[in-house]
Amino acid sequence: MELVDKYYDKAEYVETTSGNKVSRQTVLCGSQNIVLNGKCIVQSDAIIRGDLANVRTGRYCIISKDAVIRPPFKKFSKGVAFFPLHMGDHVYVGEGSIVNAASVGSYVYIGKNVVIGRRCILKDCCMIEDDAIVPPETVIPSFTLYSGSPAVRRDNLPDCTQDIMIDFTRNYYQHFIPKPKTKDELV
Amino acid sequence: MSIYDGLTAGKPAVVVDFGARYTKFGFAGEFSPRCIIPTQVICPSSRKLRWVFDYEDEADLYALLVTFIHKLYFRHALVSPKDRDVVVIESILSPTKFRDTVAKVLFLHYEVSSLLYLPSHLIVLAGLGLSTALVVDVGYSESQVIPVYEGVPILNAWQAQPIGSKAVEERLRKNLKEAYEEIKNAGGDASRVLKPIDLDLETLPDHVIEDIKVRTCFVTTYERGKAMADGIRPPQPPFADYRLGGYSVLRIPGEVREATYEVVFERDNEQSSLANLILESILKCGIDTRRALAENLVIVGGTSMAPGFKSRLISELRRLVKDNFYKPKLYISNFKMHVPLVKENVASWLGGSIFGATDMLPLRALTKEKYFTLKTVPDWCNLATNELYLSKLTLS
Amino acid sequence: MSYLIQKEYVKYECTCGSLKPISKLYFCRHCLELRCGYCVCHEVDSHYCSNCMEHLPSAEAKFRKNRCNTCFDCPNCFHTLSVRATTRSAEDGNTKTPTKHYYLACFFCRWTSRDVGIPDQTTGTGNWPVKELPFQETLNSYLEYYKVLAMRERNLKEKKTYSSPLIRGYSSFSEKFGLTSMIARKRAGLPPLSLGGKENTQSSLPKIVPSVAVDDVEPLPDTYFTDLTKITTLSQRHSYPMLQAETITSLHPQHRHFYIKCSLRCRRCEHNVSKPEYNPGSIKFKIQLAAYYHMPEVRIMTFEPLKIGKPSEIILKITNPTQHLTSLQFGSLINSEERKNLKTEEISETKKEKLPLELPRPIRNLQINTDVELPQCSVILPPRDDAAEYDDSADTHNFQDDTKVVVWRKGNKVAVKMKITPQNGMEGGEESIFGFSMEYGYVNTMPTLEQKQPLRAEIQVNLFISRATYHLRRIN
Repeated sequence: MELVDKYYDKAEYVETTSGNKVSRQTVLCGSQNIVLNGKCIVQSDAIIRGDLANVRTGRYCIISKDAVIRPPFKKFSKGVAFFPLHMGDHVYVGEGSIVNAASVGSYVYIGKNVVIGRRCILKDCCMIEDDAIVPPETVIPSFTLYSGSPAVRRDNLPDCTQDIMIDFTRNYYQHFIPKPKTKDELV
Repeated sequence: MSIYDGLTAGKPAVVVDFGARYTKFGFAGEFSPRCIIPTQVICPSSRKLRWVFDYEDEADLYALLVTFIHKLYFRHALVSPKDRDVVVIESILSPTKFRDTVAKVLFLHYEVSSLLYLPSHLIVLAGLGLSTALVVDVGYSESQVIPVYEGVPILNAWQAQPIGSKAVEERLRKNLKEAYEEIKNAGGDASRVLKPIDLDLETLPDHVIEDIKVRTCFVTTYERGKAMADGIRPPQPPFADYRLGGYSVLRIPGEVREATYEVVFERDNEQSSLANLILESILKCGIDTRRALAENLVIVGGTSMAPGFKSRLISELRRLVKDNFYKPKLYISNFKMHVPLVKENVASWLGGSIFGATDMLPLRALTKEKYFTLKTVPDWCNLATNELYLSKLTLS
Repeated sequence: MSYLIQKEYVKYECTCGSLKPISKLYFCRHCLELRCGYCVCHEVDSHYCSNCMEHLPSAEAKFRKNRCNTCFDCPNCFHTLSVRATTRSAEDGNTKTPTKHYYLACFFCRWTSRDVGIPDQTTGTGNWPVKELPFQETLNSYLEYYKVLAMRERNLKEKKTYSSPLIRGYSSFSEKFGLTSMIARKRAGLPPLSLGGKENTQSSLPKIVPSVAVDDVEPLPDTYFTDLTKITTLSQRHSYPMLQAETITSLHPQHRHFYIKCSLRCRRCEHNVSKPEYNPGSIKFKIQLAAYYHMPEVRIMTFEPLKIGKPSEIILKITNPTQHLTSLQFGSLINSEERKNLKTEEISETKKEKLPLELPRPIRNLQINTDVELPQCSVILPPRDDAAEYDDSADTHNFQDDTKVVVWRKGNKVAVKMKITPQNGMEGGEESIFGFSMEYGYVNTMPTLEQKQPLRAEIQVNLFISRATYHLRRIN
């Protein structure tokens, strides 16, 4: 099934020269530490905690509503230290999900209301189902589908996951368009 | 097993024991299976969990088995099924349809090199070094009793009744329901024991009932069981609170915990308790074998792992044999029981594993070539293959 | 759109008869046929630990019983355990300098190796205690015993010294009375009864101590526990078949089980259709013949609300993933039996069917309940052009398209309009399903010995498209 157009309010979103579409209703703390590598979408009420450590995403990353991207910490005897969070290309983070991972590979699909514990490593081409809880320090290998609490491998992903994800994120970007002006506005 | 065996042995056969609920799977020559997993698969179309043994017809069973065996090989054994020997442990009484379909799946879909069916009741003795025993297999759907004398199963003395975990779980559900009805009818405060109060016991999933059974129920002593059967209520054992998720609590009354397993031992007019089965089986055996069998009881199957199960069974047997019904027929003074070296649920598997590691495997297994010429699996109850066997024997 | 999260609306019929979405299909370039997970041969390629990503050759993995040397699973919730360190001074009091001690902890359920009394280790990798199977010795002796027994039987059979007068007499006896214990023994897998004169061979059998029956079995403990948190669940027991601990105090962590990478092989021509790289971190493939890269992909774009007996429009988007121009033609469903006959003719010339028995076809539970009016003309699909993805300028292709059929076109994608009519007698809530066959030109670039030039072939495939239930009547 082809994606349907998703309209956004032109006044709410900022489009950068590299094609990032970022809502004004987001909390981007420490924005100097946040790098969005182009054609990314950050939707309303998402939170990216750049104040804790660097956050870097690849191209075509979609961060849905109410998602939280938060660099992980590690406790040491002398205190806590935060680590940067890297995200690859073509990553989808569903609504209300909290990502505390150390790294998220490319072509990763994270469903709705998922919690990814601190310092998890999500390899390329993996998928976390809706409502899954991934405990801290879990490694999710490529071509696996994790679900449940604690998240366990439920299935394998098809071999062509990479291209499916590329296609999906590109399509999503292309269908994420400003709301066409109504007749009243035109007049 | 020494370290070197693992390296020198070529490809050990895989040994599978398909159980109605749990399947035991591992490699020949090892003493413990690699995995014990529920015999169920996720139906690819409906995304529902289905038990393999709840099949509709042969085509359905074929599809279920293909999915299930795929899971066994690629999630648990992690070996390619092609050109590897397989040992399947099955009951002598297993339906031909199932047996044939397993062979079909393994030979056609997985292209295994050979297949050997081993009778579970006989093979369990290999794990004990015995040749004579009365083997009682208490499984999920039924209990089967088959005596084995000097390595030969006495087939005409087989006994089976649908008393197993399934019956126990059904009884548990019924008992729980009755207990709550009673509390409610008596105007008691059910909210203390049942949260939320409108919890529907009817819709509790099977795996929850199974878990309650495993974690709270036990087999009581003969004396208490007898008293319960006579309608006397002895002082109750303590209750147990069972949590259902985060908010619901189910209080399992002591009586339910104690009385649930009684379904295995209840004596009714049909004389179909487990103890009855054993005595009936002994009665059908030759008079000179009876004593040896009674003194070599082997109890296997997961259901018999319930706490107190064996102790209760042996005291039941000792009382029952003095009963007026058996007294004139059976002159057995004592019963003795073997304690398996491994857990009861994997005892049959262990026998198959030992057997599968020997030269018997190439000698007796049904090879792929043979299967394709025969197009069926030779079986003891199949006259076509048996006559062939007999004639060959006399010729040599 | 993503095949990962949506219901499978468009299904292709594989050569074996099963219906799968394109993401789960493969296209064997050698047979020029579709293959799916059901009709290919799976092979274990490499073993790896999903936690530490160590990968091992299969011989070593077998030696380690498919378990990772370093990682452990939580016996309580089955999540991976992490190593935690504490610093404390040695207990004997002789040394003042604090040393690091390590223990295993689960970050999900908070289980630690201290809960079950496993002593802390002084090294991070630690040689954590391993549980040994009790009665190992006894079981080994049984195994040896049965091995010798089996060997003897094998020797007997090979020598064929069966025809000694004594045995012959015995077998004629058996003939008279049918199934005797002799035959029963043979069938039961036991050696023949040790008749007179055979005792001398008995000496070579290793001695075993058979199990001794006991009078009294462990009775039920008087104080029967009630605390549910102390009794393990069945899945906890079954995860460690050797131990099967009944109380949580006897749980023991187990080494983490390996994951595998699988390669797939076409059953007919024995060529690989998918072979991943060994490295578990890599998502690349040495051989990848997924149908997604080799045949036109069909997706639903939009459709009108359905009404019984009334035609409504549906627009399908078709994408050409290959580097070659192709043209599509639509027709009614082809009978798989017919096609098979066609194919078997070809095969019989080159190669005979390997299996004497037919592989059972999967059960299909899809009923066509909607008619479809297909476009009569063929549709040209230009090749995929990766550069065009970055080029936002309008397309320069000029195709003489029938505007009644082709409603939209961009790059290697085309939108085709069709008319579907749900048949009478459909019930509310039922899915409307229609099917058609699609014929397309496939260019095989694989050079073979005979043919160096790319080969053009016409491939036909059946498609089944299920649409939302008709009573919904909304466009989603």
